[in-house]
Amino acid sequence: MTAPCLPLPLAEIVPGMVLADVLRDAKGNILLAEGVVLTETVLASLARHGIATLPIVQPDAAPPPPDPVAVQARLDRLFRTQDPADESDWASAALRHHLEDYRLRRGAGASA
Amino acid sequence: MSRIAPEQLAAGVQDLPSLPAVVMELLGSIEQEDIDISVLAKKVSYDGALTAKTLRLANSSAFGLQVKVTTIQQAITFLGFQATRNLITAAALTGCFPSGRCPGFDDRAFWRHSIATAACARGLARRMRFNQDFAFTAGLLHDIGKLVLVTAHPDAYAEVLAWRVAHGGEWREAERAVLGLDHVDAGVALADHWQFSDTMRQAIAFHHAPATQGAGFLAAIVHVADAIVHGLDLAGDEHELVPRVSGVAWDAMRLSEEAYLHLFRETEEQLGEMAAILMG
Repeated sequence: MTAPCLPLPLAEIVPGMVLADVLRDAKGNILLAEGVVLTETVLASLARHGIATLPIVQPDAAPPPPDPVAVQARLDRLFRTQDPADESDWASAALRHHLEDYRLRRGAGASA
Repeated sequence: MSRIAPEQLAAGVQDLPSLPAVVMELLGSIEQEDIDISVLAKKVSYDGALTAKTLRLANSSAFGLQVKVTTIQQAITFLGFQATRNLITAAALTGCFPSGRCPGFDDRAFWRHSIATAACARGLARRMRFNQDFAFTAGLLHDIGKLVLVTAHPDAYAEVLAWRVAHGGEWREAERAVLGLDHVDAGVALADHWQFSDTMRQAIAFHHAPATQGAGFLAAIVHVADAIVHGLDLAGDEHELVPRVSGVAWDAMRLSEEAYLHLFRETEEQLGEMAAILMG
């Protein structure tokens, strides 16, 4: 499986970034294997080899934060037959409350 | 209106495709502990497709095995007999009903809902220290009556779908308005025909009415799991609707908010994995 990758100019690469593909020299010899964590020494050596850009593994993009308006609108639709004023239907209200917290990443589910 | 008379329902159930004999045997004996395991493992292993699907399920992360099982006998050793029997049942059921017979009925949405309810009911049961294997199978089977109606009476069920789109509301309301009976009636008819155990039959019969005297705790678990899965919006159904949650059933769960949030996440994760295996 290939990780999402981003070609970066050598000057922008900092130690700790991860190589997304094997790196070969002009003759096809492997200089570095895929998945290698780049260090200062390695980067300096690559500069001497005349390497200009490197494919770098893109860090996992964090999922976009939930849109509270869209979350409420969808929950309104899912719970459309429930009357919020009907106190005898407290159990449906409790379920909706937990689902809101889950979707909006409040409370216990937030860190996972 | 396309009313279905009780004798038509019974005839429809008779005409359904039959499950592999070994699966029928498993369903009928869910409460029996003294079944001969080696005979059973052998019978199942004659069915290559069923065995392969069962083993993939057993090896999915939902069951947390540290070793990879490669035979039914091994699955029984590591997961236990009850759990393995449930996986065999799940693998057989999801392949048993023909799809696409009733235009507009979304088989995939049906199975996504059923599999998610099975996973959620199992999670609830674990937290309640109730039998997880009963809960899984009951969750998987709770709406099976819909498939009975769709398979045996596809044209009539197409009218139910149209009614539901036009009027909104719950499935049972649409079914009753058009057919004069609902998927609970059909599920119970199937449970009788396929000789499900009493526990399963009760859970199917009362998952919409868990406060009924004698409904049993399993019906309450399936009721809450069903509502959670509708609320998590996992089936991919545009007209998704959360049914009214029974206060009696909700109270019986006694779970904290934290426990619910973990259960929601667990259900979503397990659905992804199990749906890929069971629905191919």
